[in-house]
Amino acid sequence: MIRMSLRQFRIQALVGAILLVLAAVYLLRLGGDIRAVRDTSQLPSQYTQTMLFLAAGFGLVPALIGAFWGAPLIARELEAGTHRLVWNQSVPRRRWLAVKLTVLGLASMAVAGTFSALVTWAAAPVDQVTGDRFSALLFGARGIAPIGYAVFGFTFGAVTGLLVRRTLPAMAMVFLAVIAVQLAVPNLLRPHYLPAERVTVAMSTDAINQARMLGSITGGPVIGGLEVPDAWITDTSKLLTPDGRQLSDAAFNECFSNAPKTGATGTFGDTAVCLGKLDLHVDVAYQPNRRFWPFQWIELALYLGLSALLAAVGLWRIQRRVS
Amino acid sequence: MQIPLVLHAERLTKRYGRRTALTDCDLRIPRGHVVGLVGPNGAGKSTLLQLACGLIGPTSGTLSVLGSRPAANAAHLARVGFVAQDTPVYASFTIADHLKMGAWLNPSWDLALATRRIAEVGLDPTQKAGRLSGGQRAQLAMTIAAAKRPDLLIFDEPAAALDPLARKGFMRSLVEFVGELGASAVLSSHLLSDVEQVCDYLVVLCDSRIQIAGPVRDLLASHRRIAGDPAKMPATMSAGIEVIWAEHGHALVRGDAAVRARDAEPVTLEELVLAYMSRAAGTVTAPRASAAVSR
Repeated sequence: MIRMSLRQFRIQALVGAILLVLAAVYLLRLGGDIRAVRDTSQLPSQYTQTMLFLAAGFGLVPALIGAFWGAPLIARELEAGTHRLVWNQSVPRRRWLAVKLTVLGLASMAVAGTFSALVTWAAAPVDQVTGDRFSALLFGARGIAPIGYAVFGFTFGAVTGLLVRRTLPAMAMVFLAVIAVQLAVPNLLRPHYLPAERVTVAMSTDAINQARMLGSITGGPVIGGLEVPDAWITDTSKLLTPDGRQLSDAAFNECFSNAPKTGATGTFGDTAVCLGKLDLHVDVAYQPNRRFWPFQWIELALYLGLSALLAAVGLWRIQRRVS
Repeated sequence: MQIPLVLHAERLTKRYGRRTALTDCDLRIPRGHVVGLVGPNGAGKSTLLQLACGLIGPTSGTLSVLGSRPAANAAHLARVGFVAQDTPVYASFTIADHLKMGAWLNPSWDLALATRRIAEVGLDPTQKAGRLSGGQRAQLAMTIAAAKRPDLLIFDEPAAALDPLARKGFMRSLVEFVGELGASAVLSSHLLSDVEQVCDYLVVLCDSRIQIAGPVRDLLASHRRIAGDPAKMPATMSAGIEVIWAEHGHALVRGDAAVRARDAEPVTLEELVLAYMSRAAGTVTAPRASAAVSR
């Protein structure tokens, strides 16, 4: 049955291998270029964009594995009617599915593991300077968590194919759903793997000028993009007055639109000076960077567990399904 | 020890949502027969055969094949060869790939038999299965099913899509395989002519119910055509005669009394099947049933 799985996987495996080799060549060269930069303080300005693009591109890998390796695995058999041929060989169909899931699941993990090792290696000098590999996007393109994403994408694809029974709709659904999961997990689940640490940050004029974002389209007293040293900020409260209440929209807008002219030169100019005088603060929740590896393991375990659950659904369903 | 039946159904019922495909079917088919399963399209033939090879499960009732639940385990799967409707094969695999697949997936695989059969029917092992004609594909599918040397071969409308020449070749191969393997076989068709040539046991399935089942010889021996309408005969004459179907002043009847009756003529298999189908359809002309068994 292993040989049968490999034989049917031949073309997809070949395409995957070619793409992986191309990616590897690019990453090896990138890693070389990064290491050729003498002045490491230059690295963030040169490579921060590249790192973000790379992480976003890597984020597509589990969705691609799910759509092109997972979804057709059973759906194509059901569509072509070949399940009626192969399920009447001397291999019970649960074992048939278990072997297929194992073989291609391991292949998915190998691809993602290789890819991740290369990205992690190439990015290491940049990460060392910027210290932001724990940020929401980069975290998913480093270490061992991508192995979990890939096996999840694959298993989800296979089981969706079994339930949907049509290859193309299953591929489209899987591609979008895997991306949705990968957007949801960093924002909704990951901040809560371990209890967040909290700190109150005084919003002096300088502190406000350190932020990347002030205000919002709804006009609330919002500040974003603050930094806590060696940590991933998971939640920032709105601007709070000394008595702990939220700064009123009116007071905020007054500073935002009609700040007294002082000739200040910070990012937010007069607005920062005006707000700085109000003795404001924010409550920040954060995960310290030393939790990077525990979080990697937790995320890997989460995705592996989810994959096992999906595989169990598939094995249960395939025995019961009506052809 | 009692030899297990090839097929043993008790009150076997299968529903798809609100549609009933099989209703309370009872069957006891002994080994060593080539069984023909005939009936109009949509009668439930495919459902019965898919139940027999374990592709689907019954809604209620029981079915055992060669003494155990269909597709119970690997060993039981090895004993039943199944050729599905439209004879599916892997389009991207060559014929040789299919024989390799058979070897990978079946411990009892007889490569010599498979290779010989492929050569005998004139197929090129290097050809992609997606390029085969319907008849060639059917031969390939049958070879895969037979080369695991099963005790029972099941064919679900294997010849339905074939032209007459390919159908003839397929039927000949089927008979040869059954002879070589010493296997029992069950073959469904909406064409009585296919079944009549090769089968020595007949099951008529209409409207999701078994109408009649038995060895062809016994069926022919126990049915007669008589003139006149038995319903109008005196009770002394009609006793022990079951009228299957009466039409145009003739009746097809069953029973010892019928066989002994004066003027009783033997029936052909076609007349017999038509009579049961007409009775199931419940109309005089029974267009659906008669069209389905046209030769």
